[in-house]
Amino acid sequence: MTGWLRHQKRAFIVALRHLSTQPLSTLLTALAMGVALSLPAGLYLALDNLGRLAGELPARPEISIYLAADASAAQKAALAERLKKPDIEGARFVTRDQALAALASEQGLADLAAGLAENPLPDAWIVRPRDATRDALIPLHDELAVLPGVAETQLDSAWAERLQALLAIGRTGVWLLAALFAVALAAISSNAIRAQVLARRDEILVSRLIGATDRYVRRPFLYLGAVQGLLGGFAAATVLAGAGAILRGPIEQLATLYGSAWRLHPPAAPEILALFVFTALFSWLGAWGSVMRTLRRVEGPG
Amino acid sequence: MISFSQVSKRYPGGHEALTGVDIAIAQGELIFLTGHSGAGKSTFLKLIAAIERPTRGVVSVSGQNVGRLSRRAVPYLRRNIGLVFQDHKLLFDRSAIENVVLPLDIAGVERRESMKRARAVLDKVGLLAREKANPVSLSGGEQQRLCIARALVARPALLLADEPTGNLDAGYAADIMTMFRDFHQVGTTLVISTHDDRAIAALGGRILHFDHGHIAEVNP
Repeated sequence: MTGWLRHQKRAFIVALRHLSTQPLSTLLTALAMGVALSLPAGLYLALDNLGRLAGELPARPEISIYLAADASAAQKAALAERLKKPDIEGARFVTRDQALAALASEQGLADLAAGLAENPLPDAWIVRPRDATRDALIPLHDELAVLPGVAETQLDSAWAERLQALLAIGRTGVWLLAALFAVALAAISSNAIRAQVLARRDEILVSRLIGATDRYVRRPFLYLGAVQGLLGGFAAATVLAGAGAILRGPIEQLATLYGSAWRLHPPAAPEILALFVFTALFSWLGAWGSVMRTLRRVEGPG
Repeated sequence: MISFSQVSKRYPGGHEALTGVDIAIAQGELIFLTGHSGAGKSTFLKLIAAIERPTRGVVSVSGQNVGRLSRRAVPYLRRNIGLVFQDHKLLFDRSAIENVVLPLDIAGVERRESMKRARAVLDKVGLLAREKANPVSLSGGEQQRLCIARALVARPALLLADEPTGNLDAGYAADIMTMFRDFHQVGTTLVISTHDDRAIAALGGRILHFDHGHIAEVNP
């Protein structure tokens, strides 16, 4: 084994020994980190799940064209011909009977549909434009709205755009929160490492006298920071798993009430890995700053 | 091996511990530093080990200007110097043998090899049977021998000892001085600060007498 690897192994073992000699302090630090991180991580997961829910809804905007009750066969044929043009990606014709059947299948609306003396719903085209940008949609919508035989049109994109905009704001908020909590994480780690350095003052001074380099002295504390960060990440993952287990039942029950089979998605393996890397990295950074400052205080300007 | 050229050391506050010291120590020499407390003996040793830096002049060890060494280079100088302290500077959170292997750990020596060498040197200082004992359970003489074992385990070419027998009774002090003689006989350069005239008389060597920061050589 090379000297460098031997030093790394030794520093890692020393760091683990330091942690094991102060189990309560280690546990409390990990818990503080875990709780601090669970907020941005939980928000990230909530937004991820909302994003998935939004993804199950029509991702592309649609234009609904409701035909007038007195639309002639020629007008209907002309409209069908217009919908074959290249600016339309696809169009689906929904007869008034199909619309009523769909209404009747909706939870709680079956009785209402059955009570109708006659079908009030019009025939309709559900149109999916090729260009989903607002600049293309509005003129197309306006053009279709004035075609003969068309009673009413509806552009079904506004709510989806609003939801996507809200999700985008949410995601930005999560990153901002994550940045703030990264600073908090580094501060927690820094404080814990500072206490460890001060507790090992004698050992550091003696090691210096017999030839320890800066790196030799620093290394165990940096490992200590990283391992503490990993423990913090584990605590955060545990908090999230616990919250997920508590919320899964009620959320799925609510989804069922809305006639949806939507399920709460747990974090994927890469996301859990990212959480551990994030906590280890920022805890390590906090440890680095703390060790540099505290060693200077312990050893003097030398 | 060691040379002081017009070396002065003034501490913050104005106390001048050494004034214009010129001295040379050859490899393999046995040097005793004598003089009253505060005469400059400890400062002399600290300057050699780069624990302190001279205010003026040049301290050279094995050709290196110690006073101009960078912070990064100082540890590598100290790895070639064994340091024995009057107050031992042992670590009480680990066993005797763990104290002794520390310099080898720092130097990156393989664990099995460092334990072997630590046991050999503990055997030499008569503490092999106490290798697992915590230093706090050792007597003053044993603690000093443990400190010497730690200073010698990396096989330094130079051993600096600051009042190594200062707190010990005559019997322990004689044992330790005998140990130093043995190390000197195998070629180690020894610089020992002491008030122990009997030890000096028994071991011979050069005597450098310190008086208010000045050195006078005394023929035994």
